[in-house]
Amino acid sequence: MQTIFDLQNVSHSYLDKFEALKDINITMTAGEQITVLGANGSGKSTLLLILDALIYATSGEVYAFGKPVTEERFNALENNEFAQYFRTKVGFVFQNPDVQLFSSTVFDEIAFGPLQLGLPNDEVKKRTEEVISMMEISSLRDRAPHTLSGGEKKKVCIASILSINPDVLLLDEPTGGLDPRSQLWLIELLQDLAKAGKTIITATHDLDIVEQISTRAIVFGEDHTIKADSNCDTVMNNLELLMSANLIHKHMHRHGKLMHEHLHSPDGEHHHEQ
Amino acid sequence: MIPDWMNATEAGPYQGAASLAKKKGFAKKTVDGVLAFFQESLISETFAKRKGLLQSLDPRVKLISMLVLIVGVTLMRSPWVLLIIYLLTLVLAYFSKIEVLWFVKRVWVFIPIFAGVIVIPMLFNVFLAGNVLVPIATLGNGSHLGPIALPSSIYITQQGTTYVVTFILRVAACVSLAILLFLTTQRDLLFKSLRTLQVPKVYVLTINMCYRYIFLLLDTIADLFTARRSRQIVGLPLREEQKWVGGRVGYMLVKSLDMSDKVHQAMISRGFDGDVKLMHVNVMRHRDYAAIVTVLACCVILGLISQSLISI
Repeated sequence: MQTIFDLQNVSHSYLDKFEALKDINITMTAGEQITVLGANGSGKSTLLLILDALIYATSGEVYAFGKPVTEERFNALENNEFAQYFRTKVGFVFQNPDVQLFSSTVFDEIAFGPLQLGLPNDEVKKRTEEVISMMEISSLRDRAPHTLSGGEKKKVCIASILSINPDVLLLDEPTGGLDPRSQLWLIELLQDLAKAGKTIITATHDLDIVEQISTRAIVFGEDHTIKADSNCDTVMNNLELLMSANLIHKHMHRHGKLMHEHLHSPDGEHHHEQ
Repeated sequence: MIPDWMNATEAGPYQGAASLAKKKGFAKKTVDGVLAFFQESLISETFAKRKGLLQSLDPRVKLISMLVLIVGVTLMRSPWVLLIIYLLTLVLAYFSKIEVLWFVKRVWVFIPIFAGVIVIPMLFNVFLAGNVLVPIATLGNGSHLGPIALPSSIYITQQGTTYVVTFILRVAACVSLAILLFLTTQRDLLFKSLRTLQVPKVYVLTINMCYRYIFLLLDTIADLFTARRSRQIVGLPLREEQKWVGGRVGYMLVKSLDMSDKVHQAMISRGFDGDVKLMHVNVMRHRDYAAIVTVLACCVILGLISQSLISI
């Protein structure tokens, strides 16, 4: 399998002060579905920004599609073949839909990516219409994105990335703020995309979706290092690991008159300790 | 786990009297203002999509024409010619399917801000000498206002009135032209047209992004004020309110910087390279050539009138 991302001893800190990632080593190959798990502030979003070449490692090396990812390579705005290739191949769904939606209509928003990549107008129109129909958002076609509901905005965000048809999808907390029905819809969409051979890298702390959308899980600790990188089953059954990463906690609650304490584990079961 | 005082609850019902507010608080006024802006911008965005006269022109032609006309108007000194140009903008608005009354109101909101405050003093003989039109007061010889010597009588002058009327009409015509351009052109096309005038990418990008996230910031402001209202139990002294608003201004500045970074990242992530690419293909048609020739001819005539080479 072709290596898509290769991170070697990567660290990143904001303002040279606040450490976000510490000595990260990861290799990601084409067609993998990976979940990046971690508590708030553990560095998941920073990792995705680095993978999308939007920020750069303060130390260590990042390779994408076999080429080093450096600020110099991406900084040139024009005639930058590698940057254009990279942007065609990698799509990023941001956590906050509002920062991603800036066009005047939903149609323009979805057409934005293909247009920037220089596709002919007919192709852009065809793709945009097909993505709108696939995402079942025809009724939103001419609406201004800032007037949509949270769930609708998320759908438009995903549509605006899928219209580029990237091989690699980066999703930052995709289920955040979605109602249960929309969450299920999203899970099914990601499963379909996985079947189509897309590489899907999702940052989340929603343990309920991990096994449904990925086969590999990377766990970040609160010290911004990788605590585990293994298949989903192994990670999700390691309650001690999940507790140390602050992803599950001991919880006291009541069943009728019985008060008891247990671990909230991702399998939906819990063991009464009485 | 919770402190003792948090265990005390009292579910009501409330037995006291409820008073009715006589006027809106500043928080409510701000939220209403933001919502009114959203409503207004939604209305104005619909004009660009109507099938009217100006909407049918190539955006580049429209941009250049309006700029040339604005330059022509600024050269004019005759109030009658300026009045005719202003009335022409109303005709253009009508044929561009913009409600004329709404358009007039929108333009005249700006006039007192841009023109009134600056130019009203010129009405009086204190600032511009001239013939008496309306006497105001007789002060007698040797009157002073601080270090400023005042004339023996104060009156509105004929020359001052002509100056003020000319100035206000000039501003009204220029603002009308600019608003017509903005209302009848889709934002993306307008920004793209700026590039055809060789405006550097970085400026176009900055204007574009300002426009993009002004809505997001306003949304945040409305949320801030709504949250503030939900926690406000008693009214605070004016000074405290001012402090709070000052703090929120600082917060919005930091937030806007953060937001601009993220919006830009989201654009780059989707292949944006600094140039605005749109599906719309600019094609010059007969009507575009006719429009540009008409505008240029108008401007030449205006120039000749302004130089007194021809008179009307």
